[in-house]
Amino acid sequence: MNALTENSIRQEQIESFGRLMAGFAHDMKNHLGIIRESNGLMGDILEMGSLCEDAKVVERLQKSIAAIERRVAISADILHHLSGLAHRPDTTCSSFLINELIEEEYAFLERFSRLKQIDVGWELGEGLPAIYNDPSLLQHVLYRIYCQCLELMDSVQSLTIITEQEGQNIVIAFRFPGVCPTDCSKLFNEPLLAAIEKLDGKLKIDDREKNTIEIRLAISSLPVNDAP
Amino acid sequence: MIKSKVLIIDDEVEFASTLCQRLKLRGIAAIDMFSGTEGLKNLVKINPGIVILDLKMPDMSGLDVLEKIKEHDPSIEVIMLTGHGSSGSGAEAKRKGAFAYAMKPLDITELIDTIQSADNKRNKA
Repeated sequence: MNALTENSIRQEQIESFGRLMAGFAHDMKNHLGIIRESNGLMGDILEMGSLCEDAKVVERLQKSIAAIERRVAISADILHHLSGLAHRPDTTCSSFLINELIEEEYAFLERFSRLKQIDVGWELGEGLPAIYNDPSLLQHVLYRIYCQCLELMDSVQSLTIITEQEGQNIVIAFRFPGVCPTDCSKLFNEPLLAAIEKLDGKLKIDDREKNTIEIRLAISSLPVNDAP
Repeated sequence: MIKSKVLIIDDEVEFASTLCQRLKLRGIAAIDMFSGTEGLKNLVKINPGIVILDLKMPDMSGLDVLEKIKEHDPSIEVIMLTGHGSSGSGAEAKRKGAFAYAMKPLDITELIDTIQSADNKRNKA
């Protein structure tokens, strides 16, 4: 099998996963819609006072209804992000805002840092311009870098995610405590570098501050004809 | 106070009927139908001012139902329901004449506000 065929198979596989995820998210939102309306109806009836006159029972029911509503809201938010993530590969290149892209992906990345008890802080630049590039591939790259950062970190440390404009580029930086550079060489494996090259991005490690590592990925808009 | 009659068209029977009950509890005249075909067939009889319409239904697409409703009576305001995170389908619905779109799971307070706005628009016309 030649490389072209293998790439085509891989591409179709990613598209299939995207569609399956999007379908799953859509169905789950329908289920959540029914749960929220049913729960809301119970709340409505309870509020009208016709269901129960025992104040303690009413209070307990109201707490349960509120707990269900809270979980529906959290699940709906996750599914909203999952839909976004799943629809990203629909078009290879598009205009997007880096901060929105990261926030969408972070809904899923948060779990990994939470399990490792790593506190994640944000310094997202305001008013960053939209860029034209491959958002799905960029999310893949960010996922890899994020996981590598967590690998390099000890529990109970802090990771700061920064976005800022640097000339024509938007920089996404991951700053965390550590000593440069030996362990960071793990980041530069071939597939990750190839993906970054396809995005026309630049990856570098900055160790300007003492005992602090900053992994910086600079991305800019691709010319429309050069889109991957 | 919402004067317009509200028709809910959604193939998710539990969703449509529960939402219908919640609207009725708030004093809104609401009726539920569980397919695009059924909704269109009963449009003259029900004579709704506002339609809450699901985008994805097995018998016919919400966008097609929207077009037929607007052909029948352009003054009927349609609120599209979409489960999609992307606003692409919602934006397309607005281009085709929908008053607004809302995403599932719904926020009842936001939905009531949207229904109220649609009702106000109809009353001004």
